[in-house]
Amino acid sequence: MECSRRDFLRYMALSAALAAVSGAPLPASAAQQDDKPDTWVKGVCRYCGTGCGVLVGVKNGKAVAIKGDPDNHNKGLLCLKGALLIPVLNSPDRVTSPMVRKAKGGPLEPIGWDEALDLMARKFRAAIDTHGPKSVAYYGSGQCLTEESYLASKIFKAGLRTNNVDGNPRLCMASAVGGYVTSFGKDEPMGTYEDIDHASCFFIIGSNTSEAHPVLFRRIARRKQATPGVKIIVADPRRTNTSRIADLHIAFRPGTDLALMNSMAWVMIHEELDNARFWGKYVAFKDNEGKDCTFDDYKAFLEDYRPEKAAALCHIPEEQIWQAARLFAESPATTSLWCMGINQRVRGVWANNLIHNLHLLTGQICRPGATPFSLTGQPNACGGVRDAGALSHLLPAGRAIANPKHRAEMEQLWGVPEGTIAPDPGYHTVALFEALGKGDIKALLICETNPAHTLPNLNKVHKAMSHPDAFITVIEAFPDAVTLRYADLVLPPAFWCERDGVYGCGERRYSLIEKAVEPPQGCRPTVNTLVEFARRAGVDPKLVNFRDAADVWEEWRTVSKGTTYNFYGMTRERLRKESGIIWPCPDEKHPGTRLRYVRGEDPIVPADHPDKFFFYGRPDGKAALWMRPYQGAAEEPDAEYPLYLTSMRVIDHWHTATMTGKVPELQKANPSAFVEINGDDAKGLGIAHGDACVVETRRDKLTLPARVSDVCRTGLIAVPFFDKEKLVNKLFLDATDPISREPEYKICAARIRKA
Amino acid sequence: MTPEPTGPTPTSRPSSILSHPLLRNRAVVVLAGAALLVAAFFLYVRLAFPGVRCEAAKHLDAPEKMGDCYGCHVKSTPRVAQDWYEGKHGITLVRCQTCHGQPDGKGAIAFNRSPGVEICARCHAPSMERMEAKFGTRGNCSSCHPNHQNPMHGDAYVNRQATTKTSLD
Repeated sequence: MECSRRDFLRYMALSAALAAVSGAPLPASAAQQDDKPDTWVKGVCRYCGTGCGVLVGVKNGKAVAIKGDPDNHNKGLLCLKGALLIPVLNSPDRVTSPMVRKAKGGPLEPIGWDEALDLMARKFRAAIDTHGPKSVAYYGSGQCLTEESYLASKIFKAGLRTNNVDGNPRLCMASAVGGYVTSFGKDEPMGTYEDIDHASCFFIIGSNTSEAHPVLFRRIARRKQATPGVKIIVADPRRTNTSRIADLHIAFRPGTDLALMNSMAWVMIHEELDNARFWGKYVAFKDNEGKDCTFDDYKAFLEDYRPEKAAALCHIPEEQIWQAARLFAESPATTSLWCMGINQRVRGVWANNLIHNLHLLTGQICRPGATPFSLTGQPNACGGVRDAGALSHLLPAGRAIANPKHRAEMEQLWGVPEGTIAPDPGYHTVALFEALGKGDIKALLICETNPAHTLPNLNKVHKAMSHPDAFITVIEAFPDAVTLRYADLVLPPAFWCERDGVYGCGERRYSLIEKAVEPPQGCRPTVNTLVEFARRAGVDPKLVNFRDAADVWEEWRTVSKGTTYNFYGMTRERLRKESGIIWPCPDEKHPGTRLRYVRGEDPIVPADHPDKFFFYGRPDGKAALWMRPYQGAAEEPDAEYPLYLTSMRVIDHWHTATMTGKVPELQKANPSAFVEINGDDAKGLGIAHGDACVVETRRDKLTLPARVSDVCRTGLIAVPFFDKEKLVNKLFLDATDPISREPEYKICAARIRKA
Repeated sequence: MTPEPTGPTPTSRPSSILSHPLLRNRAVVVLAGAALLVAAFFLYVRLAFPGVRCEAAKHLDAPEKMGDCYGCHVKSTPRVAQDWYEGKHGITLVRCQTCHGQPDGKGAIAFNRSPGVEICARCHAPSMERMEAKFGTRGNCSSCHPNHQNPMHGDAYVNRQATTKTSLD
């Protein structure tokens, strides 16, 4: 038998061709053409505070597709959660009827809307008439629309005359608010996301940006890729995915952040990298009590934070402090970004101040690319709760309840008699649920949040929510929320894209989410529910004369006039046409403000102001640099509980997974909680990857599978909080920052053993 | 005297599969034999040792492992997995299932080995529209754009030159 070369080649070619044809990809399915949307409706993502613009594709009244809005700040990009939002919107797993629990411990049964609202109004009215306005409360959310939060706050503070209005931003952003207010006199960042495109150094501390703010992480990575010499410092006890793009990762011991940052400041002054021209003109040095001091006082204060001492405290190499300080100060434009690692600390406000200090000391502020930028967790904590004043010590647009002038202003704007608004702040969140447990709160309305899953020291909270005297109404779209187990009355809301409304994201951008589809039968927009409730509970109808969210927006827009939050120029029509506008925006022609406090950029600064920068929130027009001393965690490890326990996020789930859990791709990526443990620690304890372990603190214990890796530094274990079967918040204590009242979810003492 | 034929002549060859023209070629016979042996081996392993079938297949049967595509594919398709991990989709944690769906078909999006343009459009619509306006588009993106190979430090898109081309061909 012979095979000529020609034949051999021919047969080889034939086999290769056959293989190629069988492996060729199928052409893009023509069947997809049937799903092409008729129309694209503009909105904003339902998830994190990044606030990516989205376009929801609708066909025959059903949402069929989503894509990023090319005209919003995200330039059309989405993260994996946003890209998979449509299955959540279309999920049949919804509460579609009001439900009542006729007796404590009994089941929830459906009732009609009228009956439900009457019952709710009766309960609130009876509580107020018998025990006074302080016996009722509202616990809201950074996921409610701005119009919903503004309206609820107005109803409770001016209508029912109680200041017991708080919300879940107390658990995440309160320390950032406290930091901005004590350092600059006004809440909210002075820069925008655009600063990322101009920064040459990023200082990321206490933030796993790649998993918590993915699209912003992408923007930072892109900046690094596109521009040579961009440096990134990531300071986090866990070496997360965010560190993949870091030039320097500082795995400091949990709770030593204050020492680290004060030490960086010491290096900056020692190396003469501070900007004396800037701080000489624009910075007021303050000691911890608020007394005015000098730069030399500050220098003396920092002697306690020399690098060798701080490094020993932080358990890091001393060289890292020198390096971080030099990178920060020497770069032409430095942007800091931080999130819960800094805020959820018992000295969260101080930690925020220290970040601002670094920027004020070096003049890395109020210029493109140079700014301290606090990352916001929820999609509408800024716009709805912080800006609209829906917290127990605030009134709209930065006003304070404790300030009689501010109360009088709001009473006039709202058309209520002088003295209507109670003079004392109400309960902050932890205190609110404590009062519930003591029987001091008889009627509580919880709106669009899941406190039975997300509050710290959960066993205590569950006990409080089970109090026999408490009547708890919950507005909640998803029946699997743990909070519903404690509800006496449940009201089904219209969900995202099922009603018009505004979300204000982390960069001061207010964007309109337009209604794309009808809500399921039985679900109502929360604005209407609140109006109906108020009317039936005896609130003056004049106060709630709103047909829909657009009416509420008109009023809120007017209330902001003349304040430093002025967004009067954001009419509903303008929001419909544009993809979000950044406040201040005083009139309809104004394009929005990127750099606050800067003459020529910020409309609140007079055009003829003698100085370039004007920190108008503070009486002397200067920013405050606070000498905050080191303070560790409320509960440090000891012999009995030798490890640090921290809580964390995974990119696949948002908060309590009532939404992301509806998407199989996201649910399966991280189906249940685990405990992340350092490889060396695990070896010492005889724990292998996948082993069931018992994680225990003074409050409670949980059995979790071990995820052994090099992410956590030694001495630290981490547990994600999304899993409702494994409520890690039962393990944390509810110690709060004395200024912000934000709980310390990031640190407590724990021990672990193989189960 | 007539010369003896030097080999079997067609008229005297027995009729069987082995007389098929293709199979007269040694190379083909060797290749076919090898393929048969390999197939036989796999069949034997599959039937005789059901418990130690390919690890990946076992995990497909375990729904709780379904979400960890990378964990398996780093072993079964290491090059693609590594390209993804080092590329922009890996750094930004655009996980496999975000674009490919789930292999059990019970996910929110249809399972596919080669995602269609509507999947890319969720995040990349502005670029796709610019592309379409200038050059028109092909049926899918991956025939030109290597989905998994978009490294942070690579040259994939660096060498963009000015061009007067108005079509992709």
